[in-house]
Formats: sequence, C-alpha cells, structure tokens
Amino acid sequence: MQSARGTLLVLPALTAIALLYALPLARSLITAFRSNDGSWTTEHLARAFSLYGRDVLFSIGVVSASLVLITVISISIAGYLVLGTTPWAVRLLRWLYRWPLFIPFVVSGQLARSFLSTNGMMNGVLVETGLLAAANAQSFLDWRGLVLTFAWKQTPFVTLLLAGAMAAIDRSHIEAARNMGAGRLRCLFNILLPQAAPTLWVGLILSLVAMLSVLSVPLMLIAGNPTMMTSMMAHRITYYGDYGIANALGLFSYALTAVTAWVYLRLTLRREANP
Amino acid sequence: MRTEALTLNDVTIDLRQQRILESIHLAVDPGSFTCLLGPSGCGKTTLLRAIAGFTPLDRGDIRLGAQSITHLPPEKRQTAMVFQSYALWPHMSVGENLGYPLKLRGVPRSERQQRVADTLQRLELSGFEKRAVTQLSGGQRQRVALGRALIIDPPLLLLDEPLSNLDAAIRRSLRGELRRLQKSLGITTIMVTHDQEEALQMADQIVLMRAGQIVQVASPQRLYQHPADLDTARFLGVDNIVSCEKEDPANARGATQFGFRTRDALVNASLNAAALNRKGRVSDCVYTGDGYQISLSVNGDTLYATSDSPIALGAFATLQVPASALIPFGPDNRHLPPLDRHEDIA
Repeated sequence: MQSARGTLLVLPALTAIALLYALPLARSLITAFRSNDGSWTTEHLARAFSLYGRDVLFSIGVVSASLVLITVISISIAGYLVLGTTPWAVRLLRWLYRWPLFIPFVVSGQLARSFLSTNGMMNGVLVETGLLAAANAQSFLDWRGLVLTFAWKQTPFVTLLLAGAMAAIDRSHIEAARNMGAGRLRCLFNILLPQAAPTLWVGLILSLVAMLSVLSVPLMLIAGNPTMMTSMMAHRITYYGDYGIANALGLFSYALTAVTAWVYLRLTLRREANP
Repeated sequence: MRTEALTLNDVTIDLRQQRILESIHLAVDPGSFTCLLGPSGCGKTTLLRAIAGFTPLDRGDIRLGAQSITHLPPEKRQTAMVFQSYALWPHMSVGENLGYPLKLRGVPRSERQQRVADTLQRLELSGFEKRAVTQLSGGQRQRVALGRALIIDPPLLLLDEPLSNLDAAIRRSLRGELRRLQKSLGITTIMVTHDQEEALQMADQIVLMRAGQIVQVASPQRLYQHPADLDTARFLGVDNIVSCEKEDPANARGATQFGFRTRDALVNASLNAAALNRKGRVSDCVYTGDGYQISLSVNGDTLYATSDSPIALGAFATLQVPASALIPFGPDNRHLPPLDRHEDIA
C-alpha cells in the first residue's frame, strides 16, 4: 500500500522526464544511426565528421578557451569577494558582477556585435583615446568574439556558485592560514580554492553545456566557416531537413559533455574515497 | 624564536558604533601563562583577536617585545593562534596541516617532514601524518591544532577557548597537558576562557574582564581570595552575601557586607566567637556527593552551607563561617581594603 502510494506520487515527475527528456534523447541518438530506408548505418557519423570535422574542433577550441577565461576571472572575483578588505569595493563588485546573468544569450550576441565589430564601440574608444590607429582597427567577430561573449555571459554564473561555496567555508580556516603567515593570495589558492573546487567543476560543466547548446551567439557573430556545431546542426535541419547528420553532430556534443562529466565524477569519487 | 613579553597600551575597539573594548592596559611577562577570564560578551575574544591582528584598533598600541605590531597584518605578526573550532583545513592531512606553516616559511621538504614527525611525537600522535583531520576525535584535533601553532616556534601563543568543545574528562586531562607543554617550552601564552576553574588551574596571571574593561589582574590565589568587587566575587563562586552585624568578626574597617563560599560555611559547628554566625530555618537539604548542601532562611534571605549529615527540613540551625573565609566589601560593593586594579602577581 505504502509503496503503491509512493509510486503514485513520483509518477507525474517520472512521466515528464520520460516523455520530455529520455524519449527525445533516445530518438535523436537512434536517428543518428538510421538511414532513410530504416536500416542501421554509421554513414551519418562519417559524413558529419568529414563535412563538419573542422567545426567540431573549432567548437572544442572555443569552449576550452572560454572555460579557461571563465575560470581565471571567476576565481579572481570570488576570491576578492571573500578576501577583499575594502568594504565599498567588495559591495560594488558584488552588485556589478551579476548583471550579465539577467541578459539572454541573444541580447549578449547583439551587444557583442555592436561592441566588437570593426566600427564597434571597443575600436571606437581605442581610436578616440589614440591607443589604436583607425587604419589598424580590426573586427573581433570571429572565434575571439565568441570566446569573449561566452566568458562574459557565463563568468557571473560560475562566480555566483564559486563565491557562495567560498563564503560557506568557515572563516576561521582563512584566519588560521593568515595567522600562520599566509598572505591573501595564498589563502585563496591553498585554502579556499581546494575546498571550493567541486563547486567550480560543477559551474564549469554547466557552462560547457550552455555554450555547446547556444545557437544565437554563433549565428550572430560568425559569418561563414568554421563555426560552432549548433550553427551547423540548425543549418542541416533548416536547409536540408537532414536530421540524420544533425543528430550525428549532436552526438559529438553529448560525447564532449559526457567526457567532462565522467572526469568530474571520477575526481569526486576519488576525493570521497580518501577524504 | 625567543619568547616575548606582550604589552597592551590603551587598546580601544569600536565595532558598529559600539564600544567593545575600553582603554585596555596590560603587561604580560615573557614565558608566563595569562588567562583572559570573563562572562560571554565581555570582550575577551575580541581582545585576543586584536592581538592576532584580526580586529583593528581604534586607539592604542600592542607591543611584542620592543616592537609595535599594531599596524602589521595578521600574517606578519608571528602570533600563533589556536581557534575554538580548531580550524584544521579539511582538505589537508594531519601532516599537511602541521607542515603548511613551515612550507610558508620555505622550510625544505625533508626538514619539514622531520619537524612534523617530532611535533606529532610530542603530542603523542606519532604516525598520524597521513590521517585525514576529519577522522580525528575532538581531543586529537585539539592537539593537532596546538601542534600547528607551536611548530613555527612562535614568540606568543594565543588560545581561544581551546578546551571548550571537549567533554569534561578530556578537558581535565588536557588542562594539565597543555600547562606542562607551555612550561616546558617557556612560551608566552594568552588563553581566553569563560571557565573560572580552568583559569584558576592553569594561569600564572588572570585578567578578569567585564563589559569591555579589565576589572582585576591578579594571580589565581589572590583573585580567588580577594575579588575586586561583588560581581567578580559572584563570578568566582562566592554564592553567599550577608550584611555585617555588630558581633561579626571585624575583618576590615568599614565593611558593610561579607561574601563567602558555601564550602566554607558549616552547619551546627561548635561555637566560635571569632567566626560569623547566623541562625535560620532549614528550607532545603540536597545531597552533593561529598556531603549535603543546606539552604537556610535567615531573615528572609537564603544562605547556603555544607554539612556532613542531612538535616530535617524546618529545623533551626546555625551557620558558621571562619573569619579567614570572609571577604569584606564596602558600601560601594568594592573589596575592602581597596585593591589596586593592577596588582603585582604574587
């Protein structure tokens, strides 16, 4: 009786997951290996790689560079929020850094276009201030624009998680380290970061997934090839109705996030095995 | 490193427009053990944190030996602190926790390992290097925290209620251990505690604090026998206060009240004119393990005394306190004769 009631209670959630998540995922995986006549094939995978191999590598390069940038900036901001000694600067930073969280990707893409293009705001300011000759102004609307936009959009998210994790660490851990002679930078890297690292990993993996799934930013920033996998998937579906190759490309995305998640899980398991 | 004297001069601290410490003057001899004692909220932990550099001063000066450390950041002060929560870093093993202060000082790995092993041996934790600190018991954590503070051979050791998280039996044994260690190292030590028994057992000098001020600085014996005022006396277990009467022993001129401890008051002892005597009706009789605690109603007040045998409720009894156990107080509730606030320790 009890177990029947329990099953009844989880049933709506279970159905929603099965219908809205598991089923489409399985369908897309299966479609990647089905030819038009219904037989099993690896042809989509091979064609996807021969046609879009460069885009896959480009995507990996862009998200890796973005993740590095996100890591560096979020550690700096979170570290300053926890260890900073100038109260007004900490307050200001805490208020400012969250803004990009509330801006959708598509608007970020638009902002990046007007900021990074040849005649954009960044070059405008540089030329105005005499730091750059107008003739040397170049557009950043390529992989660099993507990296900057992704980092700008995702850093606040990772910082939010990381600063929360760092703030939750007992203050006396920092004080003990300072008392023993550690400066603030050492406190950050030797005491805070090792304890907050699991949260940083979660933030980075979620960011990786977000960046691999965004369509608007690469569409708005990148004209031509190579570009992100999402652009190519959309292209394949809108112009050719070719779900096979689009799903094969999707498979690469899954594989990429799965590998990172696996690395993360291994790390946490090892940490739990010898705490 | 040589152990140093500590001198506080006019140390004043405000936090959020509230005065936490008011003009603290204190001299601590090199190699001595000083307890900051007082009820919670009296500012004793703030004072310790100010010495360690975690709470900035609004006024005053802190000197370690001849050098002023008032404006140094915590990491430059060389004061080693043991935190109430121990603050062991959970992501490091016992050996790494102990070795980290040495690593910060650029001590090479082999010497580091040797000193960590030596420290663990001294703390009777040999072979614990690889253990996770999360696997240690409270007492073991406490010792590792102490070892981490001592491993850098600091000129000054600061202890923030280091024994308060332990159960009574371990606390008692660690008191002695800590005191022996402190004596053998000859390190100047300042310990915060709210436990008067702990302070009396361990300290060379007790600094009694109340509401952000120092009330009395004295040796444990002196403090126990001559508390500066009534509140201090109550804090130190003087649980009976009586108004003076003509036939009471004339201990101090002008005394209006006497304080005494329950253990010094006897019931129905043989008559002694040189002692304080009060007659009253027994209102309660409680077994305490090594005797009985008798409550006596005397003119509407309740006084407590001890007795070897139980006494029937409602019976009349005489309470007697020898003159030497009476602590005289004047009409202003201060000890008579007045004590110098900064007496020399005995």
